[in-house]
Formats: sequence, C-alpha cells, structure tokens
Amino acid sequence: MVIEDACGSRRALLGGVGVTVAGGAVVLLTGCGGSSPAPAAVKTVPVRVRQIDVGIFNRSLHLERRSIAAYTAGIPLLTGSVAKAAEQFLSQELAHAGELLGLIHAAGGTPIPRAPSYELGHPRTAAQVLSLLEQLENQQLAAYLDAIPRLSPGPVRASVASILANDAQHVSILRMALGSSPASAAFVTGRN
Amino acid sequence: MGSDPSRRELLRRAITAGAVGVAGSALRSPARALGAASASSSDAAEVGRLLRFELLVGFVYQHVLASSILSGDARKAVEQLGVQERAHVSALSVALDRLGGTPPAGPANIAAADKDLAGRRVSGRLGQLRGGRDALRLLLALEHVAEGAYYGSMTALGDPKLLRLSAEIMGSEAQHVTVIFVLLHPGELTQAVPYAFVQGRR
Repeated sequence: MVIEDACGSRRALLGGVGVTVAGGAVVLLTGCGGSSPAPAAVKTVPVRVRQIDVGIFNRSLHLERRSIAAYTAGIPLLTGSVAKAAEQFLSQELAHAGELLGLIHAAGGTPIPRAPSYELGHPRTAAQVLSLLEQLENQQLAAYLDAIPRLSPGPVRASVASILANDAQHVSILRMALGSSPASAAFVTGRN
Repeated sequence: MGSDPSRRELLRRAITAGAVGVAGSALRSPARALGAASASSSDAAEVGRLLRFELLVGFVYQHVLASSILSGDARKAVEQLGVQERAHVSALSVALDRLGGTPPAGPANIAAADKDLAGRRVSGRLGQLRGGRDALRLLLALEHVAEGAYYGSMTALGDPKLLRLSAEIMGSEAQHVTVIFVLLHPGELTQAVPYAFVQGRR
C-alpha cells in the first residue's frame, strides 16, 4: 500500500490547533487536552523553543505524517465503533503534526518536506490495518521517549509528553480492537 | 491481560534510574558540583512527590481489589493495572533511593487515603464505595490525576533518565485511563480518548 500523503487535504483542520506562534523563537503552548484546562504555567508563559531541537521535531513530524497517511488509507477498511475511533485518532494525529509544525516554526526552523508517499505494506483486512496502525503508533512512542529527555525547556517536554500519552491511548484502543491486552506493560516504551 | 513486569525489567529500571547518582563523579568544579547537587535535590523532591502519589494509588487499588467489589472482566483488568501501579512504585522507590531521598509513607488507613484524595480533589472516597461502578469511577479519577502528576514532572525534573522514566509511566497512566473508561462505558471507544493532548488533572 503506497499512500500519497493526505495532509494537504486536511490542512483546514490544523488552524489554531495546539500552538500559537508569537513571533520569532517564542511560542505559547496552548495545550488543548486533558481532563481540565492546561496548567496556567504552560498555557500563558511564553516559551523559547531551541533551534537545536528542530531535528527532533522534524523526525517526529515525519512519523506523525506517516501515521496520518496510514489512518487515512486504512479507515475505509474499518467498521463501526473502531472506524469512528480511528477517525478521531486521525484528527488527533493531525493535531500532533500541527503542534510539531508550530514548534519548528517557533524555533526558527524549517519543516521537512512532505514525503510524496509512504510504503505501508498491503493491508487488506481490518485486522491488518489495525496491526499496521499499532506498529506505527508504537514507533511514534519510541521516538517521543527518546526525544523527551533531550528537549528543553520543560514546557516543550510537557507538550511532547502530552502527545506521547495520547499515542499510548491510541495503542490501547487498537490493541483492544485486535483482541489483545490494551495495557500490556507498566512502562510504555513503544517496544512492548 | 499481559504479564507481570519481569524481574529483569524491574532491574533494568533500577539501573536506569540509579545512573542519576553517578553524575557527580564527573564534575570538575565546585560551582558545577553545587549546581548538580541542587538539581539532584530538586529531582529527589519531585520523585518523592510522585512516589507519595503512587503509594496512594497503590493503596486505593489494593483496597478496591481486597473488597471484592469488582468481579469478572473488570476485576481481572483492574488486577493487571494494580500490578503495573506497583511496578511504578518500585521504580520510583529505587530512583529516590539512588538520589538519597527519604521515602515517603503511604496512607496508613482508609481515612488517611480519603483525606489525601480530597486534598487532590479526586472525586470519590474509598470509604464510601457503593459498588463496582463507584470503584471504577474512583480509579478513573485517580488515574486522571496520575496523568497530571507526570505531565507536571516534565517541567520539574532535570535528569534525562528520570524524564524518560516519568514519560514511560505517564504513557502507562494514560492507558489505564482508557482501559477503565471502557470498562465503565463498553464500546465507547471514541469517548475513551477524547483529547489530542493528554495533560491529566492537577
């Protein structure tokens, strides 16, 4: 399954999501999740995003875009509540990509060009799609875990951790849909 | 629902968390030593806070399971989550020990646990559970606070290995939220993961 990147067609969804760039290398991390409003320290204090972290953000952006392509292509093979969940996860992955784009711009960096396509194998059944999505989400988890300790300052790490936790939840639901244990390990590594 | 954390995994965690204390041997100046000591002390305080909270979480899970208020699939699922919460306690305990921190005490009894829950604005009280759904709602509320605790630790911690450990546990707590939500609302997969950015409750 070679999938053309579908991000362009979803660009409208990215407006205003996740990050507001306020000039130069400063960004307000507006966090749009959790079960309560974001802590004031993250929501209102400008954060300087380091240019040296642009490489990390771009690698993560590539992985998010790949997952977005996989969800976009795979959802038609899913049905019922699983399909609806996957549609929601697609929206969330788009939001993650938007956040990363905002961080890159805030750091004065340049986002990597979108890949023209992604090699995603040839899933033909719902189970194969779900397995592929789980695999891609796990790869994101592993990448974010490698990234977080290297990122600075703290609010940037927190923003990325909030993405990681959401991706961990995606893995849970995907595994549930596959009939596997939704929380198989005490420490989420992306390699569980 | 998966296996207990293996002894090897827990040992790996201990070694990882314990590497924090080795940094001092590479220092070359008193100023840098002072800075490192301050950072280590700050990390110790944060790990202590996280551990104290995880001890509360563990107490609540233990009481819920001991009360036999849950049965069937819900009980099996919560048992597994309880095992994972104990693993979190173990990893944080080792990390705190390596930092030279003083281990906090867990709740002494249900009243103390309920007081702690109230202080953290967790809805539900351990001493007032009226059935399985009450217990699940309490656990769900607690896990949302757990998410928030680890989210906050991202700005409080400095040591890379502790940051990684904290992020791994945050991922786990987020999965616990998902599992418990689906136990309460079977089939509502979309509502189980409502937010693109998980920040928990603080």
